[in-house]
Amino acid sequence: MRKRSVWSLKISTAAIVLIPAAIGINYLGKLIAGLLKLPLWLDSIGTVLAGMLAGPIIGALSGIMNNIIYGMTVDPISTVYAITSGVIGMGVGIMAYKGWIANIKKAIVIGVVVGFAAAIVSTPLNIIFWGGQTGNVWGDAFYAYFISMDLPVWLASFGDSIVVDVPDKVATVIISYLIFKGLPNTLTNIYRSDNEIEEL
Amino acid sequence: MSAMTLYVEKNSIIHHMDPLTKLMYVFVSIAATYIVPVHEFVFLTAAFSLLLIIIGKVFMKILPIIAISIILIISIIIVQGMFHPDNKTVLFSIGAITFYQEGLSYAVLLTVRVINMLSAFGVLILTTKPDELIERLIKKGMSPKIGYVFLSVLQIIPQIRATMGKIADAQRSRGMETEGSLIVRIRAFFPLIGPVVLNSLNDTRERAIALEMRGFNTKGKKTFLNESREYPYRKIIQFLLIAILMATIVWRVLL
Repeated sequence: MRKRSVWSLKISTAAIVLIPAAIGINYLGKLIAGLLKLPLWLDSIGTVLAGMLAGPIIGALSGIMNNIIYGMTVDPISTVYAITSGVIGMGVGIMAYKGWIANIKKAIVIGVVVGFAAAIVSTPLNIIFWGGQTGNVWGDAFYAYFISMDLPVWLASFGDSIVVDVPDKVATVIISYLIFKGLPNTLTNIYRSDNEIEEL
Repeated sequence: MSAMTLYVEKNSIIHHMDPLTKLMYVFVSIAATYIVPVHEFVFLTAAFSLLLIIIGKVFMKILPIIAISIILIISIIIVQGMFHPDNKTVLFSIGAITFYQEGLSYAVLLTVRVINMLSAFGVLILTTKPDELIERLIKKGMSPKIGYVFLSVLQIIPQIRATMGKIADAQRSRGMETEGSLIVRIRAFFPLIGPVVLNSLNDTRERAIALEMRGFNTKGKKTFLNESREYPYRKIIQFLLIAILMATIVWRVLL
């Protein structure tokens, strides 16, 4: 079997079936974080895992579809951030493919990079849709502080997103990394489209 | 085990509309309120979305959806009202807190846009069966695989929720603490999520085999279980929506 690129659009059935599971895991993370009253969302563990397991395309698809479905079933606002989630899944997929999930320190770097990428994508959305805030109490307190310091709206809004996104994404990637390392090889092998394993 | 959907079974004219027309309405009405920054127009659009909700007999169901976004709305009013860069005219003060006219006016515009966004989505999701919408999209050319993903999520999430309940009970009976300091609660995260993740990933393997056996990857033309039906006023409403979108863009350019 020929070695295929990680960007290959020929997606195995296992990888397609991974998307709903990833969305389910996202939902679960949010549910447990709420249950344990943790101060983070942790609502993209599935997207991050999908990126690690099946590469950037499945990661991005999981992220985008996650927000669309969440928007259609619980909270329409989340549809706005579909692109942000897609970028998170894609970012993790690319970095995981380049070998950044070798150990936990590198995984933390993924979290920081992805957190910044998420903030960069969210900022224009926040400015267009709600004048710069995020609806998160901590982030918006920062936003108000920055604005009262006479900083421009885009910078204040970016700061708002960073405060919210980076810690959450670092925690999410660490959790996903620990779960990923705990998975048996028979399970992690079936999703990749770039290795020599026979397809299902 | 309830399926995960906000659809409300009622008999109204909105329920009988073409799901794609409703999807288009969501897009056009949200876009229109952001293209034209005129208070009266945005108010009117939001009022129209709410009117459609009332015609669809689902007004009580939109309230909890709006309630989810209440923090965002409050934050918009407080932050823009107090800190908007253009603030000059003092409207009123409560102690050290001062609200300005410019900021509040902008906050009202944003809030009504958010309410319109939620209501427009409500028109679609409260009155449309998810499978009907997906089937229409597939008939219009969306990949059936994407359609499968959307619909299977709606089934998988209640399953995961049920598994989650079982695992939480099992771990608690083995002495896992779910309350207390932050460290204790963080530690409880892994025994809760780990088994469910492993379970659902394991399921994907079996589901993939089952799908392949039923010809999920075959290239031939797919047929549909349900016959396509004619929806009332489909063409004329879609034409009107596109015309309105064009008109708002023209309005914005001329403004």
